[in-house]
Amino acid sequence: MRRFPSSKHFSRRTAMGLIGAGLAAPYVRPSYAQGAWPEQTSIPDILKGSGELRIATFGGTMQETQVKAYFEPFEKISGIKVRYFPGTSAPKVKAMVETGNVEWDVAQLSRGSIMNLQKQGEYFEKIDYSLIDDGVGKEFRFEYGIEMLVWAQVLAYRTDAFKGAVPKGWADFWDTAKFPGDRALLGTTGGGWPELEFALMAAGVPADKIYPIDIDKAFASYDKIKKSVVKWWDTGAIPIQLLTDREVSMTSVWNGRMAALQAAGVPADISWGQGLSKRDAWGIPKGAKNAANAMKFVAYSTMAIPQARVAWGIPYGSVNIKSNEFIPEARQAVLPSAPAIKSQLVNYDYDWWIENREAVIGRFNKWLLG
Amino acid sequence: MSEAVEIPSGTLTVTRPIGVQFSWRKAIPWLLTGPLLLFMLAFYAVPVVAMLLRSVNDPTWTLAHFHALASDTVFFKVFSNTLYTAFTVTIGALLFGYPLALALVRTPRWAPVILIMILLPFWTSVLVRSYAWMVLMGRHGLINEALLALGTIERPFRILNTPLATQIAMIHILLPYMVLPIANALRQIDPSLPRASSGLGATPWGTFRQITLPLSMSGVAAGMLLVFVLALGFYITPAMLGGPREITLSMLIDLQVDQLNWAYAATLSAVLLATTLAIIGVFYRLPGVSNAFRMGAR
Repeated sequence: MRRFPSSKHFSRRTAMGLIGAGLAAPYVRPSYAQGAWPEQTSIPDILKGSGELRIATFGGTMQETQVKAYFEPFEKISGIKVRYFPGTSAPKVKAMVETGNVEWDVAQLSRGSIMNLQKQGEYFEKIDYSLIDDGVGKEFRFEYGIEMLVWAQVLAYRTDAFKGAVPKGWADFWDTAKFPGDRALLGTTGGGWPELEFALMAAGVPADKIYPIDIDKAFASYDKIKKSVVKWWDTGAIPIQLLTDREVSMTSVWNGRMAALQAAGVPADISWGQGLSKRDAWGIPKGAKNAANAMKFVAYSTMAIPQARVAWGIPYGSVNIKSNEFIPEARQAVLPSAPAIKSQLVNYDYDWWIENREAVIGRFNKWLLG
Repeated sequence: MSEAVEIPSGTLTVTRPIGVQFSWRKAIPWLLTGPLLLFMLAFYAVPVVAMLLRSVNDPTWTLAHFHALASDTVFFKVFSNTLYTAFTVTIGALLFGYPLALALVRTPRWAPVILIMILLPFWTSVLVRSYAWMVLMGRHGLINEALLALGTIERPFRILNTPLATQIAMIHILLPYMVLPIANALRQIDPSLPRASSGLGATPWGTFRQITLPLSMSGVAAGMLLVFVLALGFYITPAMLGGPREITLSMLIDLQVDQLNWAYAATLSAVLLATTLAIIGVFYRLPGVSNAFRMGAR
């Protein structure tokens, strides 16, 4: 990860990739291997080109999947050479744009971090939606980026911890009498955004009444679970390790990581109900040298088949409604974008968080240390 | 222009150039260190100064960020926690490190083994070591399982995810920085001194207390300085092994960078840097400390 623990920046998902390399190594790769992946055999001429394209990713198994799902196929079919780098982050985009040394043409971020940075000035190019496939839903489109990956932050538990009882939602998570054992939740270090939504649902707020978040109420609810939380995690590998080592009986996790855990035979499962549906997005940094190629790639990677290919490799969902016909039904049962699961999830409101993140994090740290 | 130096015996006269002429002899140290100095200036000093300037010059010249810091209770809690951890780790490393350094110097047969024991972990990635600690210290880890099997405890106790776990791991990681300067100081003690001491009738303990220990204090001070300063900047180890409320200053800086509050991040960095420099300054005034950083044998 770093030569010495004092200096290098330790961002949430750079670490996820690098730690993942260590943690996931002994595990069976969670890809869905039955049958051949669907192939995109032709693309509109307008998406073809020449030269190169530099993409920043979160690394790890996610990047491995992306290489197979759309980096290599795009290079072959478009004639544009794709180079990719782990370690994407909004602060780095800010530094690159401010110093005029833009090393990435596309960066994988979230709508939240893109819009948060955009609030400070012009840091991203506008997306040319004339190139984008019709199958990409309106909810995934925004001016300075386009969402390209659907994932979920959900409740996960040890199936051997509660004598067969199955926790359903955050009220059960908060109920340490009925479901004994320690807990872990996402903290603020490493760029995490606290899970106020979960705290509200634990206090009985219905899923459709969460936003705008009643911050006082959320922290009052947090008070009740604070003693049982042994770790406020900051990278995706940590909750997986805590579950594996029986340090906690329940935790919040990123759903994609659970597949590796289950493939390794750990008795743990996801409880999808009341999970948060989140998305990653492509952003094109302002002044990117290959911005035109970047636009072509963004358009290609959100087409139905490239999106479906991702879901074949890693249990994350598609933003293209037409992808489902290229994903086997058995596979859809573990995708946050599948209708049966999507209906149980709460759509994460990035707009609320862009406005309130700073205040919430300040308050969270004060609350945690107080 | 030259000057004749009269040697008192009057038999030898040496001439030596004076004035502002170029002197190769004087230039050599600069030529040797010049490339590194330029490198440090370009890739270290300039970026650090540019970063620190943000704390007083963002968006305009202002001390507002330092004012904000003064009333930031989170900062004070995190800062005192960071100092406290660094302090306990320094004391822990000293207690374990001094006997080890003594063994390293006094038992030449075992020295290679001891050195390997210290340095092997030193060459292992901090991340790998943190995972190893998790295996050891977990609720169902080796330590708990062993104690349960022996009947020492009835139920597993929590070590992992507590400040104690952070301290144990940090002591382990930083031990070489304590042992090596102390061993160096011990090695520089003139062996005739302890011999004279015991020859004059001192007990081994008396010799240690009155000769060895005082003469090795420069190494102790140097080791403590290194360990303390390095401990101030820890991030991964407390993040992975520490308790739920463990936020270090480095984590807080990282958080501010991520939140795009770069001016505030720079302010926090300035405080960390100033603290570090102050500590180094104080330690350097202790007798013998600067000697301890000198290389080489007696």
